[in-house]
Amino acid sequence: MAQQANLGELLSMLDSPVLSVRDEVTAVFKENLSSDRGPMLVNTLVDYYLETKSQPVLHILTTLQEPHDKHLLDKMNDCMGRAASRLPALSLLGHVIRLQPPWKHKLSQAPLLPSLLKCLKVDTDVIVLTTGVLVLITMLPMIPQSGKQHLHDFFDIFGRLSSWCLKKPGHVTEIYLVHLHASVYALFHRLYGMYPCNFVSFLRSHYSMKENLDTFEEVVRPMMEHVRIHPELVTGSKDHELDPRRWKRLETHDVVIECAKISLDPAEASYEDGDSVSPQVSARFPHRAADVAASPYVDMQNSCGKSNIGSYLLRTFVSGNPPSTRLLTDPSMVCGMTTPPTSPGNVPPDLSHPYSKVFGTTGGKGTPLGTPATSPPPAPLCHSDDYVHISLRQATATPPKKVSHSPARPALTQMACSQWCLLSPSLFPAAISKELSEITTAGTEPLVPRGGFDSPFYRDSLPGCPRKNHSAASGAQGASVNPEPLNSSLDKLGPDTPKQAFTPIDPPCGGANQSPAGSRERQTALETDILTPSPCKIPPQRGVGFGSGQPPPYDHLFEVALPKTAHHFVSKKTKELLKKAKGNAEEDCPPSTSPAEVLDRLIQQGADAHSKELNKLSLPSKSVDWTHFGGSPPSDEIRTLRNQLLLLHNQLLYERFKRQQHALRNRRLLRRVIRAAALEEHNAAMKDQLKLQEKDIQIWKVSMQKEQARYSQLQEQRDTMVTQLHSQIRQLQHDREEFYNQSQELQTKLEDCRNMIAELRLELKKANSKVCHTELLLSQVSQKLSNSESVQQQMEFLNRQLLVLGEVNELYLEQLQSKHSDTTKEVEMMKAACRKELEKNRSHVLQQNQRLDTSQKRILELESHLAKKDHLLLEQKKYLEDVKVQARGQLQAAESRYEAQKRITQVFELEILDLYGRLEKDGLLKKLEEEKAEAAEAAEERLASCKDGCSDSVTGHNEEASGHNGETKPPRPGGGARGGGASRGGGGGSELSTPEKPPTQRAGLFSSRWETTVGESATSIPTTVGSFPSSKSFLGMKARELFRNKSESQCDEDSVTISSLSETLKTELGKDPGAEAKTPLHLDGPQPSPPSPDSVGQLHIMDYDETHQEHSEG
Amino acid sequence: MTEDSQRNFRSVYYEKVGFRGVEEKKSLEILLKDDRLDIEKLCTFSQRFPLPSMYRALVWKVLLGILPPHHESHAQVMMYRKEQYCDVLHALKVVRFVSDATPQVEVYLHMYQLESGKLPRSPSFPLEPEDEVFLAIAKAVEEMVEDSVDCYWIIRCFVNQLNNKYRESLPQLPKAFEQYLNLEDSRLLSHLKTCSALSRLPYDLWFKRCFAGCLPESSLQRVWDKVVSGSCKILVFVAVEILLTFKIKVMALNSAEKITKFLENIPQDSSDAIVSKAIDLWHKHCGTPVHSA
Repeated sequence: MAQQANLGELLSMLDSPVLSVRDEVTAVFKENLSSDRGPMLVNTLVDYYLETKSQPVLHILTTLQEPHDKHLLDKMNDCMGRAASRLPALSLLGHVIRLQPPWKHKLSQAPLLPSLLKCLKVDTDVIVLTTGVLVLITMLPMIPQSGKQHLHDFFDIFGRLSSWCLKKPGHVTEIYLVHLHASVYALFHRLYGMYPCNFVSFLRSHYSMKENLDTFEEVVRPMMEHVRIHPELVTGSKDHELDPRRWKRLETHDVVIECAKISLDPAEASYEDGDSVSPQVSARFPHRAADVAASPYVDMQNSCGKSNIGSYLLRTFVSGNPPSTRLLTDPSMVCGMTTPPTSPGNVPPDLSHPYSKVFGTTGGKGTPLGTPATSPPPAPLCHSDDYVHISLRQATATPPKKVSHSPARPALTQMACSQWCLLSPSLFPAAISKELSEITTAGTEPLVPRGGFDSPFYRDSLPGCPRKNHSAASGAQGASVNPEPLNSSLDKLGPDTPKQAFTPIDPPCGGANQSPAGSRERQTALETDILTPSPCKIPPQRGVGFGSGQPPPYDHLFEVALPKTAHHFVSKKTKELLKKAKGNAEEDCPPSTSPAEVLDRLIQQGADAHSKELNKLSLPSKSVDWTHFGGSPPSDEIRTLRNQLLLLHNQLLYERFKRQQHALRNRRLLRRVIRAAALEEHNAAMKDQLKLQEKDIQIWKVSMQKEQARYSQLQEQRDTMVTQLHSQIRQLQHDREEFYNQSQELQTKLEDCRNMIAELRLELKKANSKVCHTELLLSQVSQKLSNSESVQQQMEFLNRQLLVLGEVNELYLEQLQSKHSDTTKEVEMMKAACRKELEKNRSHVLQQNQRLDTSQKRILELESHLAKKDHLLLEQKKYLEDVKVQARGQLQAAESRYEAQKRITQVFELEILDLYGRLEKDGLLKKLEEEKAEAAEAAEERLASCKDGCSDSVTGHNEEASGHNGETKPPRPGGGARGGGASRGGGGGSELSTPEKPPTQRAGLFSSRWETTVGESATSIPTTVGSFPSSKSFLGMKARELFRNKSESQCDEDSVTISSLSETLKTELGKDPGAEAKTPLHLDGPQPSPPSPDSVGQLHIMDYDETHQEHSEG
Repeated sequence: MTEDSQRNFRSVYYEKVGFRGVEEKKSLEILLKDDRLDIEKLCTFSQRFPLPSMYRALVWKVLLGILPPHHESHAQVMMYRKEQYCDVLHALKVVRFVSDATPQVEVYLHMYQLESGKLPRSPSFPLEPEDEVFLAIAKAVEEMVEDSVDCYWIIRCFVNQLNNKYRESLPQLPKAFEQYLNLEDSRLLSHLKTCSALSRLPYDLWFKRCFAGCLPESSLQRVWDKVVSGSCKILVFVAVEILLTFKIKVMALNSAEKITKFLENIPQDSSDAIVSKAIDLWHKHCGTPVHSA
């Protein structure tokens, strides 16, 4: 609560005139706001502001921080609800929004927006509506994406207000309607700029209705004539327009510029690079601007008596002249349209002439300023600067004439100055001018120096005539005041001048606004034209204006397009502006308030003053009808004026907002320019570097050439050296070869010498050997010699002997001759005999030889014969072999055949025996009995015969038998066994012929068996005969024949029992000990003893067989 | 020289270019033209080349000693053989061992038994294992040779050769088989070993019966060419080749019984290829017999 009380005090203290107190309180409030989060303080502040319109409070409210925005908006929404506080709330909202608080995006969600829209739809107060519309227009670029929800509200508002403009419902003052119209026009631009498709479709639907057709014809259509076709109409769509993505890329000022782009209205339009229309428009526009700017000047120059710009300025601003405001706000009131009517009459055909004249006359200097070609958009600004001096001078010279109101005059002039000044500093990018900022702000604060006439240009103007070389003078003065900032600012100004070339829209506009304001006689006419926007009128007007002698002015327009001159020009101009600003800066001012506020306050103060001295003022044309000079005006009118002022203020604020947006944009563009410049400089630097490098390269090339030359020189040297060395080498080689050859020769010589030496040595050896040999020979010879000597001696001795012997011989011959006659006969006989013998021998030899020959021949013959025989023998042998082999083959076959036969026989035998076996089994018993009887008889018989048979013959026979018993031995035991087992003789027989016995043995068996049968035949003939196998064989046949005699004869005797036989045998054996020795060997031996002479013969036959066998074996 | 002049002079090159046995028949005829046939040459020829079927019986008879090397005595010897055959047959008939209804093979068997003195007491006596071998071989030869006398003699001599000449080497063949199988495909051998089928392979069928009843006669006679000419090792390679040919199937079988059963009844269609490969294998391992003349 105490706080509440404190608040009241503090609030009252805010408005205290003492600056320090105010600052302190403001600080306290801000502190509170930052610490307190509640809505109370904000509410109180808002209430207070609504009550008092206190500026500090407004300042505080506009700079509210984030957490309080909601409270503020809520509070304002509350206020909006009440009709009484609606207008102030709206203006507060406008203030807040224009400063673009950081929370501006929240506006779209705040309840304030719908209530604002609702207010705009429902309210009938024109002032509120105008204010609201302006606020809305300001707000729209900040919340573009919210358009989606409220788009139709916007359009409805537009529809309602546009119809308002025509219908003028109720008691609305027409003046207000003008304001309203202007704001609706702005709204149109904004909506069309931002949502072309939607807006156009809205227009189509809304104005297709009959009741709205009038409105369209009267209000909307003229508006549409001031816009181009929006490109979005072609490329975009309804949805695309509302797409948040589209808006995200754009900042507020971008949106504003976008909207300005599509405008054909010079007051609204903006011409940016890349805009195809812009050159035309800009070309059109500067011309007009120049026109406008020139017109006052021309006025001044040509008709001094006429109103000058200063006076118009004063009038427009001080009096709050309705026509002027109307001019300002009238949508159809474009400078280019309005001015021509004023100028054509005054402006000489050749526009450039005046300038040249001016400068030609004033200075005639070749300064760039003076060139008539440089009369582009900035020109009016710049020149008007100069002309302001002039005009002001004139104004000072003729103040009483036109303007009765003096106190405001200095301020107004100041304001005019500040207007100019404002334009230029605002163009500066913030980044550039830190140092400049002080100056500029100072320059934009011309409030304090009321005595604006002692500002530099006034001082300049005071001397009057030196105006011709004002640049020099001002330059001198600028130098004398503070040359350094100037220079520095000049440096900095460089880059941003191009921008100025593009942004002279405002100044000329302003100029246009003001300059025509001066022509009061026109104003009435214009007034009538207000509501019938006059684009249609423009061409004729222009035609009038240009038709008189326009072609030449185009020349400079073209040159305007050239950036260089423009740049130059603008830089000059800004220099001057700076100078001026500095001049202002000299008489400093408080640093805190912005120029905008100053302007605000100024107008408000002007309004205050106006309200005080209203009676002194000449009222606008409309009021002229019913107001009287000097009389107190009716309160109604005062209110009207107040409201107008308010509207004007609003309008102004809106325009300022736009300007700020432009400034923002300008800054951005300027940054680009700086960057471009930096890049250019960089480029230049690079070029320099390039040049340097090229130079380097040149140097290097040169040095390289040098090096190459040196190198080639060295190469040559080297080459020569090499060739020299080569030649040397060659020579040396040659020498070497020569030496080599020499050495070779020497060597060969040496070799020769050696050979020679060897030869010589050989010879020496030979010689030595020869010597030796000769020595040997010599010794031999000497020996021989001695020998021969001895031989000679011997010879002599022998000769002597010979002689002696010869003598002896002769002696003997004599002896012989004496005895010769006796021996010749004998000798002859002997000779003859010898001869005969010799012949005999010879013939014998011959014979022998012949024999030898023949015998040799014979031998040869025989030998060959022998060889033949041998060969034959061999062949025979071979053949024999062959035959043998052949025979063997055959024999083998035969043998195998024989083998087979044997096998067959065996098989047969086996079979037969088998069969026999079977047969005998059957008749065995019967036989046994018979056999017993027979055996007994046989034993008796045998016993008798044994006794008869001589024992000696038995032995001899036994001896014989033993001879071939060797063969028959093996069967004997069998025989013995059989004999032992005499009970079954037949079985024994069958045993005898077992197939195991080899056939050869069997052959022997047959013979032995035959013997046994011989023996047995006495005992048991039937058995033997029965068992006799080979009845076919020859021997068997013989034996049988032989035995038959006996067996037939002894058949009866043989019938002795076997048992008795054995007994008798035993007894007999015991009796005969001589035979006993043999009986163990031959049990049956004595049995076959009864041999007859026949049997002996039989044996012989067998012997023969045996001997034959032995023989064959042998 | 005369032989050479009669032979095609190109024959030398046939073998170089890879044609085998183009001139075999002719060269065999030349060999057979000799009076007093050269048994060695015939052996070598038979080992090197397959015999032309028209001369097979003659060559076999000569090689087995049924016919002497001399052409002159052929007729006579053959007559002897025939008489012997008739005699034996007659004897058997007499002892009522065989009748007209007795199968020819059994007749041969009894004849052989008779000739070797092993004739049982009765034809109904159970057969010995060697008799089974004889019967198998006899069946095979009966297919190859038409004349019954020739047939009997060839069987007889062939069996005799097995019993006498190869008495020592036949038991060695399983070992040799294992060795060569190891050389050719040790994996297969190890598989057989793991299945313990190695000892239970049909060695009797392979080596004692010389594949009689295992291979069709058309291929068998090519094997027997080699056997008759004195090489029983060929049997090993035929066995190895059979295993190699049916390797996949054998590898798939795991038990010794199955393997043995399969090997006893191998498919007949690929026998020609098996024999050819086996002969190649034999030549590869034992070298081509050189004509030693």
